Amino acid sequence: MKLREHEAKNVLKAAGIPVPAGFLIRSPDELTPHLGELGDAFVLKAQVDVGGRGKAGGILMADKASGTKVAAELFAKEIKGLPVKEILAEQKLAIQHEYYLSITVDRSSKQPLILFTEAGGVEIEITAKEHPELIKKVVANPLMKELPPFMIRELIGTAPKEIGPVINQLFRIFIEKDALLAEINPLVTTPDGVFAADAKIIVDDNALGRQGITVNRDLSDREREAEKYGFSYVELDGAIGVIGNGAGLTMATLDLIEFYGGKAANFLDVGGGAEADRVEKAVRLVSSVPAVKVIVVNLLGGITKCDEVAKGIIGAGISQKVIVRLAGTNEAEGRRLLSEKGYEMLDTMDLVVKKAVEVTA
Amino acid sequence: MIYGDRNTGILVQGATGKQGEFHIGLMNAYARQVGGKGVVAGVTPGKGGKEVHGVPVYKVHGVPVYNTVKEAMVHHDIGSAVIFVPAGAAADAIMEEANAGIDTIVCITEHIPVQDTMKALAYARMEGASVIGPNCPGLLSPGEVKMGIMPAGLFSRGNVGVISRSGTLTYEVVDELTRAGIGQSTVIGIGGDPVIGQTFADVLERFEKDPETKAVVLVGEVGGNLEEEGAKSTNMPIVSYIAGVSAPPDKRMGHAGAIVEGGEGDAKSKIARLKKHGVPVASRVSEIPEMVRELFRGKC
Repeated sequence: MKLREHEAKNVLKAAGIPVPAGFLIRSPDELTPHLGELGDAFVLKAQVDVGGRGKAGGILMADKASGTKVAAELFAKEIKGLPVKEILAEQKLAIQHEYYLSITVDRSSKQPLILFTEAGGVEIEITAKEHPELIKKVVANPLMKELPPFMIRELIGTAPKEIGPVINQLFRIFIEKDALLAEINPLVTTPDGVFAADAKIIVDDNALGRQGITVNRDLSDREREAEKYGFSYVELDGAIGVIGNGAGLTMATLDLIEFYGGKAANFLDVGGGAEADRVEKAVRLVSSVPAVKVIVVNLLGGITKCDEVAKGIIGAGISQKVIVRLAGTNEAEGRRLLSEKGYEMLDTMDLVVKKAVEVTA
Repeated sequence: MIYGDRNTGILVQGATGKQGEFHIGLMNAYARQVGGKGVVAGVTPGKGGKEVHGVPVYKVHGVPVYNTVKEAMVHHDIGSAVIFVPAGAAADAIMEEANAGIDTIVCITEHIPVQDTMKALAYARMEGASVIGPNCPGLLSPGEVKMGIMPAGLFSRGNVGVISRSGTLTYEVVDELTRAGIGQSTVIGIGGDPVIGQTFADVLERFEKDPETKAVVLVGEVGGNLEEEGAKSTNMPIVSYIAGVSAPPDKRMGHAGAIVEGGEGDAKSKIARLKKHGVPVASRVSEIPEMVRELFRGKC
């Protein structure tokens, strides 16, 4: 789950990384008591859970006189379709130079990867493409509590030495906060020292519990409901509902829909050993999406009991058409139950998907 | 064979849990069928050595259960371990087995925090152990050994290796191969997490040295670039399939590792890079058997 800027900055601040003075406000009036503390000119930043917020008009400049009015203007906006409920009002920094610093999980080395470049302030993807030589990279053993000095030297090169402790603190945050990404972009130098002007932290969804996070904000209501039942669910925008077991098989089913020229409404992986009540919940959940016209059920497995799956499909009793491909234990019984009720069954995933695409065409 | 054969003694960590018990039964049923050693010992801290119904040692399907891996190692010849413990204890289990000197560690457990996985793998590397997974179905060498949860009924023995980041999708591929009369040497699921122990490149290296394996089916998915790295690293004849062509960016498709991030790891560019390396890529799973046959006609 992605932390909001103000949350990420609080994490940095607690670890001793300097961040600009700032306040979180939930209405324009809440700015008034802080007007004296932010200097003459300051920045208002919408705390919305989308990327590219600056370009979408989510960051506005303000001063003492205009502050409340500008804040009201920002609260009235929608940023990429999201309402602005919180604004971070922040001191404007006298920036001398912008750097980029991030730590990610490197799949190839299976270790944290630290990236630093003096060419900050631009999108890192662009620098990586056009000037990869400007990006310094270091892979750090995750069993280390802090980075040895040589790694810091390799990273910062000729950049100011005050950046060293920031890198070390960010590494500690990355490990302790179960981050998949910890990024400061830009990390800036000012006459008053180094500051994290923006911050991004993504917490591992598998570690939310031990990080004290109870609700995963990155999920939609339906996705959250699916999570409660132990399903993996992703909302898409087509008309063919999809239920599969296993992430790979379900993805392959979606791809096959695209291959035959159709569009999937969702990705739903019921997981292993699905029983009747779980299948019933999955079918109901997918059928509750208004756009869904037909549902493809593609279940394969040694331990999935086909009669249980059949009972689940029948129990859900939904109005949309359900097309089923079943293979596994008690296959004959599952088929018998479904055919008794008039459900359509086909032998391969190619056939069920083709049929579903025809129905929605 | 790679990673083990019928003579490999297997230890199951988390032997007394629901999953552990269930799969000890299935693994040993398979071992009996092929005349293999199968699971010889189980470990569950606190359960080992207790008397149950007058029997001096706690047993699961006749397999003795110990408190620690080291204790089990004293009494049995163990070459590999399969982990079924909950996510919070899995990294510890990997490290305990690596420390005890087990060569191959298969971690079935899903939802382990990535930081824990990175630490456990770094430690296992120092101890010289190979970790398969986490979040994987394990491996099966038909007629030899099953370490994990793959449904044995779909498999047939032959010369094609299968490496996959998935579970049921692997079974689908195996089912297609078997129906087409193409047998498998070893089928291995390397795991759906972003950080995994054995990668495509590691397994391909073993397949290269395996006289039983003449060609490999590489089943990948969105996220990262381990598929391309693997294809680049080997001279093995490969057919590939990549799941997630229709996956939207920045959404996790079931597996923690199946995500297109920052415009990287999408299926289309992955497929393009594989093709550039001369690897044929199937657009549908059902096309794989014919492409494997084509490979045998051309290269093998």
